Amino acid sequence: MLDSLSDLYWTYQNIIHGIAVNGILGLSVYLVLSIGQLALGQAAFMGIGAYFGAIATTKLGLPFPVALLTSVLAPAAVALAIGAPTLRLTGVYLAISMLGLGEISRLLFLNWEYAGGALGLSGIPERGGVYLLYGVLIVLIIALFFVGRSRIGRAMEAMREDETAAGVMGVNVPRYKLATLVASAMLAGLAGCLSAHLSSFIGPNEYGFEMATTILSFALLGGIGTPLGPVAGAAILTLLPEVLRFLADYRLMINGAIIVVAVLFMPRGLLSWRMKRTV
Amino acid sequence: MLQQQLVNGFVLGATYALFALGFTMMFGVLGVINLTYGVYFALGAFAALWASKSIGLSVWLALPVGAIFTGCIAIVIDTLLLTRLRRAKAPELSSLMVTIGATLFLYTGLSVVYGTEIRRFPLDFAPSAAFEIFGVRVVATQALIVVAALLMAAALIWIVRGTKVGLAVRGVAENPDAAALMGVNGGLVTHLVSFMSGAIGGAAGVLIGLNFNAIQPFMGENMMLRGFAVIIIGGLGDLRGALIAGFLLGIIEVLTAGYFASAAKDLIAFALLVITLWVRPVGLFGRAAAKRA
Amino acid sequence: MRAALIGALTAALIGAAAAQESKEPIKLGAIEVLTGPNNRYGIPAQRAFDLAVGEINKSGGVLGGRPIAIAYEDSAGNKDQAMNAARKLIGRDKVPLLLGPTLSNEMFAVGPVVNDRKIPIIGTSTTASGITAIGPWVFRTAMPESDVIPVTLKTAKNKLGLKKVVVMYANDDAFTKSAYDVMKDSLAKLGIETLATETFSGKDTDFTAQLTKAKNLNPDAIVVSGHVDAASGIILQGRQLGIGKNVRFIGGNGFNSPKLAEIAGEAADGTLVGSPWFLTKKDEVNQKFVKAYKEKYGDDPDQFAAQAYDTMYLVAKAINAAGGTEPDKLREALQKAKNDGVMGPFSFTEGRDPADASGVVVLEMQGGKFRIFGETS
Repeated sequence: MLDSLSDLYWTYQNIIHGIAVNGILGLSVYLVLSIGQLALGQAAFMGIGAYFGAIATTKLGLPFPVALLTSVLAPAAVALAIGAPTLRLTGVYLAISMLGLGEISRLLFLNWEYAGGALGLSGIPERGGVYLLYGVLIVLIIALFFVGRSRIGRAMEAMREDETAAGVMGVNVPRYKLATLVASAMLAGLAGCLSAHLSSFIGPNEYGFEMATTILSFALLGGIGTPLGPVAGAAILTLLPEVLRFLADYRLMINGAIIVVAVLFMPRGLLSWRMKRTV
Repeated sequence: MLQQQLVNGFVLGATYALFALGFTMMFGVLGVINLTYGVYFALGAFAALWASKSIGLSVWLALPVGAIFTGCIAIVIDTLLLTRLRRAKAPELSSLMVTIGATLFLYTGLSVVYGTEIRRFPLDFAPSAAFEIFGVRVVATQALIVVAALLMAAALIWIVRGTKVGLAVRGVAENPDAAALMGVNGGLVTHLVSFMSGAIGGAAGVLIGLNFNAIQPFMGENMMLRGFAVIIIGGLGDLRGALIAGFLLGIIEVLTAGYFASAAKDLIAFALLVITLWVRPVGLFGRAAAKRA
Repeated sequence: MRAALIGALTAALIGAAAAQESKEPIKLGAIEVLTGPNNRYGIPAQRAFDLAVGEINKSGGVLGGRPIAIAYEDSAGNKDQAMNAARKLIGRDKVPLLLGPTLSNEMFAVGPVVNDRKIPIIGTSTTASGITAIGPWVFRTAMPESDVIPVTLKTAKNKLGLKKVVVMYANDDAFTKSAYDVMKDSLAKLGIETLATETFSGKDTDFTAQLTKAKNLNPDAIVVSGHVDAASGIILQGRQLGIGKNVRFIGGNGFNSPKLAEIAGEAADGTLVGSPWFLTKKDEVNQKFVKAYKEKYGDDPDQFAAQAYDTMYLVAKAINAAGGTEPDKLREALQKAKNDGVMGPFSFTEGRDPADASGVVVLEMQGGKFRIFGETS
């Protein structure tokens, strides 16, 4: 009996991991969307975190906690560098520069022989595991929940509704924007590192446009009223291709359709709860 | 070799310019970032391919077929997806998101229906002569692309600046409400702009499919990211900017590959994009769009 | 009397049950790319597996009468999906052996997991380097580029007197990059000078910059590592730019497709590519296979089909030799297995790669069709 339980777990292990990783990615998008900016750079940050973390363990032989730290700091640094100049501009420019960043990082990894180039990095040791994954996810959900209920959360919502008004009312808009971008980059990088150490192989083409839109669809489906929204969206979209096998070919089509439907008809997403605030 | 490389760059630049023209027009006039534009390429190419295979049309007739077909599809997509957002005065981000979704949907749909193998137009589709002038080799289709890009740009600019229709279009772009009050049929103008932009995209798809002998559902996608670079560098919404930046990027890319390193060819477009965003976000010809909040 | 009847009935039931059990199919697992852009590699494999299984089962199956059945999972070229498929087939369906996955990238992700679980896995189309190094349970029947390309280049050098070449390769794909590494190595060993090395992206459609540069250097030939989409574009544009017919294009495995002629037309005449297998190989086993495949599916088979077909027969032999599907025995039997298939004689090296490269031929494109290089008819 125990044997068949452990077999069952082994069979679905990847999916179970995937839900948690995608949940963290969903939260990363949630951060940026909740101040009204479009998040298209998450895939790039995830890739940076995955690569730096994997290089730390495979090439430099560093312990896993160090790799995790690297995978959080590297994307943060990039976000700071890119964010500062582009955040002065309207959302469209930020979105496009994020897409550009994604392509640049993909091309850099592709040509970086030390990181495997086109062949990617294989043989990444297995680290972390399901408890760490879900632990991180739960901690993040709780943390973001509290942030959302605080004054910071109120400022962020104000920015989402009307950036100019928020600025006039005393919200330091540029600083919030930058901080949010950096925070979301850190989360995406963390997800990348965790995921890399559970799939033993990463390649540069995994973190491109397709991944960016997939991550976006987590939050669009689940809604961004609470942190649970994107996590739920991620869970559903991760399970869907497995549960409905025949839909596998149409996975991308469904992602696309979801984004369309969500933006047009369900701007609040599936879980349209809103945060109750006490402050 | 330099002359040949310049010619190569010019031809490549023409393809970028074609992409950017329709794309930037949609943004400049309708305030919409329409990513489904990339799909229009494939739609136009496939429509022309069908026309050439089943009715035996050659490029001169199949091109307009492809263009008109795509123009109509553009109107449909715009009506289904974007009108609702415009009416609700939704932020630009919403149109970006919704068209991302639609693009994903349409590309995958096309590849499910048609498969992803590349196809080419039949051999008698277009003249295949090659000329050699001053040590430079030019194929007829390449000349066709450059001429087409310049002609379409000229036509567009003339329509927008020199005709009454163009006046109406610009009015709607500036202030839709005021234009409506002045008796301009905003809906009709929108349809017109969608149609023109779709038609350009479809025509571009035919020409590009012809020039590179590679028709497949994702043919626009590769362009897309580069296309962003072009319209930002040229200035969002500016037709001249799209044209000039397109040609410029083509030439720079080719020269980079020819004289520097071919691995850098892909990188250069995005590097230029990032630099533009840092230094002069409105691009070469754009109007100020940065907020000072 | 009643006792005898009951006895007979029981015996009959037991006999039927035993007969039922002994006729129970052996279920193998296969992960292939069945949908999406790379399904042109996965579908022929699936078809060939089915063809072979049908033939094997018709002539009695394995282990004295048990038919083989294959449970397919589609990876759609997605690494995660391939992983999930592998876990399902092994963890839930308990297959004793896995065929595939189609792409090298997928194998890099799936291989270690399957290897840890001690189930044999056989790649029939994964040609990148490092596949079998994943572990002792990972086998490969696909002839790696490192066996084919040296033959191609050596033959070209001998017959054409190549002294200097330009090399171009797609740098964004593990398969084309691996093939390029082999090309670089072989060229050096053969003493052929590389005038320049240019890169491109597999999705590119404009190669005029690199080709103009190449033309100016006056090479004897241009060696290209890329998939057929880019390859046909390169050849076509090269000729358009005026690169003469005397400068041949020599390609890696990506060139090995009828699409090349379809897209590039006349420009492709004279193109050379090495192949571990060839449609019109005249031996009987191959001709029978080609005929049966065409009858069943309406298309000519390609090398991915040929490799899969041979692999299935190899697996059947191994199962019989192992007397069952116990993983350790199966692995040992595979290591020792031999098969004379459509690709020629096959056996594994100690490193579990194909041992015999004598079937490799160098093909030349003429008039839209490939034929053996050097043959005039």
